[in-house]
Amino acid sequence: MMKRILLIGLGFIGSLAAADEYWLTNAKLATGPDGIGVIRDIHVKNGRIEALGQGLKVGLPAKVIDLKAALVTPGFIDSATTIGLAEVSGLGVSQDGEVADDDMAAGFRVGLALNDASVLIPVASNDGITRGVVVPEPGDSNFAGISALVRFQRGEGFIVSDALAQHLYLREWDRRHAGGSRASALASVVHALEESARFDQQRRDFNSRKYRAFEMSAADLQALSEVRTGRMKLVAHVDRAADIRHLIAALEDFPEIRLVLAGATEAWKVSKLLAAKDIPVLLNIMNNLPENFDRLGARLDHATLLDADGVQFAFMSGSPYSEFRSLSQAAGVAVAYGLSWTTAIAAITRSPAQIWGLEDLGVIEPGAIADLVIWDGDPLEVTSAPTAVMIDGAWVDLSTRHKALAERYRDLLDLK
Amino acid sequence: MKKTVKTMVLFGLALLQLEGFADYDSTYNPASHAAFVIDQANVDLGLGQGVFKGWVQVEDGRITAVGAGDAKIPDGFKQIDASGQWLTPGIIDVHSHLGDYPSPSYRAHSDGNEATSPVTAEVWAEHSVWPQDPQFPLALAGGVTTLQVLPGSANLFGGRSVVLKNVWSRTVQGMKFPGAPYGLKMACGENPKRVYGSKSRSPSTRMGNFAGYRKAWIDAQEYQKKWQAYDKALEDYEAWKSASDGTDYKARPSPPKRDLKMETLVGVLEGEILVHNHCYRADEMAQIIDLSKEFGYQVTAFHHAVEAYKIGDLLAANNTCSAMWADWWQFKLESFDGVKENVAMVEAAGACAIVHSDSATGIQRLNQEAAKAMAAGGRLGLAVDPSIALTWITKNAAQALGVLAQTGTIEVGKMADLVLWSDEPMSVYARAETVFIDGVTHFDRRAGIAPMTDFEIGQREEIF
Repeated sequence: MMKRILLIGLGFIGSLAAADEYWLTNAKLATGPDGIGVIRDIHVKNGRIEALGQGLKVGLPAKVIDLKAALVTPGFIDSATTIGLAEVSGLGVSQDGEVADDDMAAGFRVGLALNDASVLIPVASNDGITRGVVVPEPGDSNFAGISALVRFQRGEGFIVSDALAQHLYLREWDRRHAGGSRASALASVVHALEESARFDQQRRDFNSRKYRAFEMSAADLQALSEVRTGRMKLVAHVDRAADIRHLIAALEDFPEIRLVLAGATEAWKVSKLLAAKDIPVLLNIMNNLPENFDRLGARLDHATLLDADGVQFAFMSGSPYSEFRSLSQAAGVAVAYGLSWTTAIAAITRSPAQIWGLEDLGVIEPGAIADLVIWDGDPLEVTSAPTAVMIDGAWVDLSTRHKALAERYRDLLDLK
Repeated sequence: MKKTVKTMVLFGLALLQLEGFADYDSTYNPASHAAFVIDQANVDLGLGQGVFKGWVQVEDGRITAVGAGDAKIPDGFKQIDASGQWLTPGIIDVHSHLGDYPSPSYRAHSDGNEATSPVTAEVWAEHSVWPQDPQFPLALAGGVTTLQVLPGSANLFGGRSVVLKNVWSRTVQGMKFPGAPYGLKMACGENPKRVYGSKSRSPSTRMGNFAGYRKAWIDAQEYQKKWQAYDKALEDYEAWKSASDGTDYKARPSPPKRDLKMETLVGVLEGEILVHNHCYRADEMAQIIDLSKEFGYQVTAFHHAVEAYKIGDLLAANNTCSAMWADWWQFKLESFDGVKENVAMVEAAGACAIVHSDSATGIQRLNQEAAKAMAAGGRLGLAVDPSIALTWITKNAAQALGVLAQTGTIEVGKMADLVLWSDEPMSVYARAETVFIDGVTHFDRRAGIAPMTDFEIGQREEIF
């Protein structure tokens, strides 16, 4: 139980919109109201796309950039990352992304642990990723806590929201958090949600300390209440098709819950159910190993199968230290295995924006937040890279510690 | 060293046993196939010389002719129209744990680290390999035809590696690359000192690591001398025996007791076993090179060499390859200085550059990893031709495994280990469409040919 964590409702911290104004002319749009590949001018003002059109009237020459038909995408959104949680994952000095020795961590907010000076932040923006969801990991509980939305610009404003979604883990090895059986794990999930309903009914007494008979802290109960009433999404990390079905059935008594599946290795086996229930899925495309019995159905064409049945999905990379770090590579692999290029781009722009409730992101249209990436080639090719990245209408510093190191030794060894 | 397993890496010769124990030998015997010509392909020979429109002819598992332009199909040869496809040598991964750390990855399957002593040169990775690991066919679908399976990096000396052909077999012997030399896995830095330091035993520091290497090599030299003395005594005895008139008596010398740990180390000192040294940091690699000079052996390749870019000159001067990831870093402190430009910088320094996986997922996309490293080099002003980038996962990898005479490039006389790609191999959209190993089609996406392991039977779908 989250006894140590106070109920700190920071909620949405907001964005730092730039006051600057730019005209990006002759941009080739990867997505937009007029279709793919059209050339348009983009007027950026106060952090948003002010206007989109052909031959827009431009302002000061210093603020006009002719993109000469370079491809422009919305900033990519990584639906799972741990950037900001550990500078070096293997050091073991802290486990900022999880709560150990506690069988309930619903009230844990990972956003409060983030390092906004991490050298990994510009690594993400160099891959065209402007926003990411920093996801809590399960320590000793199935409910792992609340994810944060970040924008990949170092310093103040890194954390956009510390109250994005609740994360529930029900994978093969997560059963240990609830006595060893996945049946008891599911029962404890339902019990926790029921308790949050009782908490809501008795909240006044609870607050006046007349009534305290809850096994969970107020922070946990409050977080669960937000999930149960649909104010906060519930992201369930679950692999096996049978477990997905069981979870959906168990949550039927809580019709307001807005469920999202993550990982969901065997989601393709229940795709019609997911489509019917409008349950979106977050996929780690390149993780196709049958590494346990819950994951026997792992396959590289997962997105293609979900797409065929009308299931909404977005891609996630997971850890910045893993072999799945590259979000655009994942989208490219999905295309190689049958997904359309447009849908793959949408799976790292518009779809995650919709799934996370960030309607002003992931699109290039008037009024949208100006997260824009200018590319030197096809953004899904592993050989391509952004030439410039804009977040909230301001240019991002793309210099990295990594590039500086490479330059030092290129010069020291006189490499040509 | 007559008692060690002597290997001949000469072209076409199988493992040659000089004495006794022929067990553990490769039993791999490629199936027969109809002779064929792959025609109209965009051919990259793996020699770093670019791409041309041409053809490759294959008979009895070997490449028998290569040419540009339209092929003349000899009588009795099957024609494979590869219009719109790219043809490359089979991809080679010099650093894998498939079979030793298989899927599913339960503790019952965790067979890669004999983490019970810092010096376990006596263990052989092949004795842990589970041939039914479903990760083998997944790697095949990524174009991988040859791979080196190594012990893990918990120990200073992790044990012997094995080079495998990526073919489905009931036994690991049926996968062993005929004639490939063994490798010795060594490890620098954090892993050994962490594993043994946490058990309050040596090594617990980097200096402890080095003391451990040096002690083991000194022991190996002693062991080598013992056997040399025995060989000399035996020679003297044989000379005496043939000259003897029977009036005197001399005892036949007894051989020293075999020590498997020392056999492997002496194999390195005698140049028969190749050293594959897990080592991240540039300063440690430089010290390992000194270590190799102290004891007179060659470091064939540094693996996970994330800081190789800092010492490309030293690596080139010592003829040591670097096996690298495209963009793994920061999972531990010794990988903190990893840069995407690493591989291209090693190439630019004139040293042998290799892209490796160390991952059951990364091995499925080595072409993409090479492409990433190539592009990063270009952005640093070190332009790399795609054909050069291909050598990082073909020719250079074969060289580091001691099998370049047999595979790794498309040249007449070599094994027909070939991949037909749907697109330029450096593209994320490129899929291996057909994979030939010794001329035999082991994977064909269009025809629905792929191995299925016993583990997958009845519970997993085809992988296309």
